[in-house]
Amino acid sequence: MISMNKVSKHYGSFQVLADCTTEVHKGEVIVVCGPSGSGKSTLIKCVNGLEPFQSGEIIVNGVSVGDPKTNLSKLRSTVGMVFQNFELFPHMRIIDNLAIAQVKVLGRNPEQAREKGLKLLDRVGLRVQAEKYPGQLSGGQQQRVAIARALSMDPICMLFDEPTSALDPEMINEVLDVMTELAQEGMTMMCVTHEMGFARRVANRVIFMDQGRIVEDDSKEAFFGNPRSERAQQFLAKILHH
Amino acid sequence: MHEFDWSSIPNALPFLWDGMKISLEITLSAVVFGIVWGTLLALMRLSSITPLSWFAAGYVNLFRAVPLVMVLLWFFLIVPHLLESLFGLPRGTDMRLTSAIAGFALFEAAYYSEIIRAGIQSVPKGQMAAASALGMTYGQAMRLVVLPQAFRNMVPLLLTQGIILFQDTSLVYVSALADFFGAAYKVGDRDGRLVELLLFAGAVYFVLCFAASRVVRHYQNRMKTA
Repeated sequence: MISMNKVSKHYGSFQVLADCTTEVHKGEVIVVCGPSGSGKSTLIKCVNGLEPFQSGEIIVNGVSVGDPKTNLSKLRSTVGMVFQNFELFPHMRIIDNLAIAQVKVLGRNPEQAREKGLKLLDRVGLRVQAEKYPGQLSGGQQQRVAIARALSMDPICMLFDEPTSALDPEMINEVLDVMTELAQEGMTMMCVTHEMGFARRVANRVIFMDQGRIVEDDSKEAFFGNPRSERAQQFLAKILHH
Repeated sequence: MHEFDWSSIPNALPFLWDGMKISLEITLSAVVFGIVWGTLLALMRLSSITPLSWFAAGYVNLFRAVPLVMVLLWFFLIVPHLLESLFGLPRGTDMRLTSAIAGFALFEAAYYSEIIRAGIQSVPKGQMAAASALGMTYGQAMRLVVLPQAFRNMVPLLLTQGIILFQDTSLVYVSALADFFGAAYKVGDRDGRLVELLLFAGAVYFVLCFAASRVVRHYQNRMKTA
């Protein structure tokens, strides 16, 4: 589904990503973790071409992301993405947030798009908020809307960029619950997150990054049970004791 | 001590009102065209296509570095001849109003484009990223997501610029076009009551502009609390 081969990126002399190689299969849930500044957000943004990269290759569903001939907009419409700061469109009602790209990008008729939007809002438990504006919702609710918005495009896979990092602690679980449900339904997911509980519950594999490199890429049992690198051991020791 | 005599004003009111209509017409047209052209300039300036961004930067810097009166004079002197030869209009067609509107619109566009550019940049980068991630093209993301938010933030500044423009329309006196100021001047000159007429015109400008800027401030406060 997603395959990365020796992806590298640098700003001037600063290496952000170095020879990152990995593979995500259909239906897999991959958690990407690592200390801040390790390049995990950059890596995930390369998958749908939001971040350009200088060398290497990323193939998503048979399409090369780095190829200048690739229609990136079209590719992105098939890959859902959820951001740390939700990024709902504040000047549109919740339902319009869910409908607009369906109408303008996929060419669905507005009635259908609305119908589908309401169904997805129902699924994340927010149907009653459909006519409100994003600013009237809590952070957790906004993030659930953002997930529903991404799903409205019927994506073949979902990317999550620290979806719970900007949330108050009591709102984290409502978002993780939605993500867990999604994973159990077989959605292919790549999640940058520090939520190790989530990783233990639903991840198939864990990728650990440090200084732009993929240091570990292992099954979750191996990663949590017996991390090979010293850096990953230190990282786990720090965040699991909290 | 000057003896004030306001008696020539009541009779001149219809003429002054005609002048006011011209002032308002120039203001409104220049605001509308200025914002449209200013938006295009701002988009060019922010574009990654170098020639476009250079052109916009050059345009803005040029118009912001020359006095408005001069731009207006160029337009009064050059544009009518140009149009006459282009469209074969009879010589001496009165195009002062058209020239004035064109001059103001092109001049103000330079200022509007800077306001709009700042407005676009005030929208968080993540909004563009989110719109792109949903598969929108750059144009769709700008039109549907970024610009609506940018304009909402900019409304007070755009209106304030419009108020300044309204005051600046008095500069069309260089073409003897009878806008409100020009009309007041003509009446005063005719009746030998220049001081009274100019005081009256000043008072009208003050009341209108002051009231309009209060409205803008009210709107601004309401936006802050919303």
